[in-house]
Amino acid sequence: MRKAAVLTLAVVLVALAGATAPAQTPRAGGTLRAVFGSDPPTLDPAHATDTTSSAVIRQVFDGLLELDETLTPVPALARSVAVSPDGRVYTFALRPGVRFHTGRELRAADVKYSFERAARGKRPWVFEKISGAREFIKGAAGEIAGLRVVDGLRVELRLDRPFAPFLHLMAYDAAAIVPREEVEARGPGFASHPVGTGAFRFVSWRRDDQVVLERFPGHFRGPAHLERIVFRIIPAEITRFNEYRAGQLDLTDIPTGQCRSVQSDAQLRGEAAVWPTLGTHGLRFNVEKPPFNDARLRRALAHALDPTLIVERLLEGCVHPARGILPPALPGYSPAIRRLPLDRERARRLLAEAGHPGGRGLGPIPFNFNTNDLNQRIAEVLQAQLREIGIALELRRLDWAAHIKVVDDGSAVFFRQGWIADYPDPENFLTVLFHSRNIGAAGNTSRYRNPAVDRLLDEGDAMATGAARFARYHQAEQAIVDDAAWISLYHYSSRALVKRHVKGLERSALSSAPEFLAPLRKVWLDR
Amino acid sequence: MLFGITLLVFLLNAVALGDPARAAMGQRADPAALERLRRDYALDRPLAVQYATWIGRLARGDLGTSFREQRPVTEVIAERLPATVRLALAATLVAVVLGVAAGTLAAVRPGSVLDHALMGAAVLGISTPVFWLGMMLALVFAVTLGWLPVSGYGGGSLAHLVLPALTLGALHTGTVARMTRSSLLEVVRQDYVQTARAKGLPERVVLGKHALRNALIPVVTVIGIGLADLLVGAPLTETVFAWPGLGRLLVAAVGQRDLPVVMGAVLVFALVYVVGNLLVDLAYLLIDPRTRRAAA
Repeated sequence: MRKAAVLTLAVVLVALAGATAPAQTPRAGGTLRAVFGSDPPTLDPAHATDTTSSAVIRQVFDGLLELDETLTPVPALARSVAVSPDGRVYTFALRPGVRFHTGRELRAADVKYSFERAARGKRPWVFEKISGAREFIKGAAGEIAGLRVVDGLRVELRLDRPFAPFLHLMAYDAAAIVPREEVEARGPGFASHPVGTGAFRFVSWRRDDQVVLERFPGHFRGPAHLERIVFRIIPAEITRFNEYRAGQLDLTDIPTGQCRSVQSDAQLRGEAAVWPTLGTHGLRFNVEKPPFNDARLRRALAHALDPTLIVERLLEGCVHPARGILPPALPGYSPAIRRLPLDRERARRLLAEAGHPGGRGLGPIPFNFNTNDLNQRIAEVLQAQLREIGIALELRRLDWAAHIKVVDDGSAVFFRQGWIADYPDPENFLTVLFHSRNIGAAGNTSRYRNPAVDRLLDEGDAMATGAARFARYHQAEQAIVDDAAWISLYHYSSRALVKRHVKGLERSALSSAPEFLAPLRKVWLDR
Repeated sequence: MLFGITLLVFLLNAVALGDPARAAMGQRADPAALERLRRDYALDRPLAVQYATWIGRLARGDLGTSFREQRPVTEVIAERLPATVRLALAATLVAVVLGVAAGTLAAVRPGSVLDHALMGAAVLGISTPVFWLGMMLALVFAVTLGWLPVSGYGGGSLAHLVLPALTLGALHTGTVARMTRSSLLEVVRQDYVQTARAKGLPERVVLGKHALRNALIPVVTVIGIGLADLLVGAPLTETVFAWPGLGRLLVAAVGQRDLPVVMGAVLVFALVYVVGNLLVDLAYLLIDPRTRRAAA
């Protein structure tokens, strides 16, 4: 399924150097010069909420598990995991002899400490499926009852009910293992001087300038190939592009509007790579408030919008037009999902049925989006397309902090929202974004409440992974699309420039940006 | 005045839409975690109490703790301040040296081709957007010619400073050049300059020694006022050249509603402006002996 998605992408996929070349022996040494668009807010796994922070955290820390290139959880700090027949008890056996960058050996108690610490951090939802975690997060319990150290190298996690993507959570960077004594000695300073077990250890961080990591010779998988990694922090995309062309960066993103031109540039052609990632750009309504508490009106808008113009013109065909909510690169994606087709006649009929023939009585509808050139241009296209059925959009542009406020509290009635998977499972899209339990800031900003959908999602979340589980999600997804609680525009892609001498770089669908390419321990330089 | 500025910034932040705790949580916010964060940031306290606490701490030289970085604001600012000061001083140097030279050259033969060319360039310098100028300079001198680095601080190397200083100084150079020219032209019409010429001094000495010194007084004023332009231009120059300064910090902090950093950075900018203008007043003493006598 993933392969099909890749082939139908309307751009020429250029295999990254090394991906198709005959196997070469990796060379050790050298510095990889990578780049971020902004300073990471923190390097502490308990407090990160953004991909930039995660990109560094994933090099410095390890989790019990990690995801391989096919997005399957595989052992990392855990040597093995045993799951009870009822799917509720997970017992992780740690690898013996794993060392932190300080030289101290990893113990099972570190897992308990790290998880409880992170559960009171910024991503508590990673741990909330563990029995007693809710009480602990709220401060009503002194420890997570379902998290037990069995012996020096074994931990047992007990869930309230089975949760299929649980292993994915254990591969997520919020569940990275930290050494207690370092955290306690450094206090808040741990966020600027992280210590983990990862393949690279922290060297320095000059804010807004660069983060430097170096190879950790004592890594449990053996030393990485690269000697050093320097993440420059360069806010302007044109500057990143210029640094790349001047030979000062080994990889960067393709600037907005240059996706086609770099692929026809004689020099850059062989260095450009575009691949689908796990994200969807969509439009949402507040379905509790007039006028969009009327599903006919939402459907009218869905039938009047045509994302192909946005995909072809604004994004140069470098993204994948969306039918449903789940991206094609996601395990469990169904190509059978139908979107409400472009049909302006039907849109006009629905408008009339809802009591607004030709858009009469609606007045200008506010459309909220966060400040960003692309968002602005997309909003203008939507405005033009809706004008054809008599609906006027009033564009409301706010910066991110203000946008998320009006979206969370329900005062925005029609707004843009993108979603990028935290982990590759349909639950991370559908349950988070549409289950009535998550209304508001927790993810369901449509304030969508459909008992049938809730039931399907609850069933899917608890079932063992397989066709029957995915069928529940497909049914829920189709119901949401038919209800027009969300109108998908396109699925995200990663657009990167990578120098030819960079080898061993994995193009995972989770790499939502080139800076998020992980794990860098596999990368080596051929020069 | 500084207190007025901090109160204004505080109130603007209070009425601005958006919640620092929510902005720090990413897209998926857990209600319990959000509540804990608001408590940690002391956002659950009344506005008057928040401001009074801030002022109380300020009196002890404590600017509070950054929401985003969870470190003392003084530390956050102290890290970026040297880069901004270096850039501002270098840009001022560019403006003074190039501006006074161009203005003087233009004033030697008013109406000549050289005068028109220099003053045309000055207007271009004033009106070219900082971002565009920075991009073009980087494209020519860094990407194409490879003489200078494209961007970055480079651990404080001089080569990394050249393009950002030229970019930030350009606007200012134009203003200084125009002011030098018009001021000089006014001074050369005065009697004592005519006297200097009449006693047979070469034109070089007349202009360079007698006229220029007096002509510089209004120029120094322009430099003082120009500090404000430097501070305004700093975030853009720092962005295009990935310069780790205070301007970028302030812009990011506003976006994150990191109130303690916003307040601290604005306070520092205001201080720089006040101190800069004080230095300009002191410079008058140096240039104009009359002010020295008046002061004594």
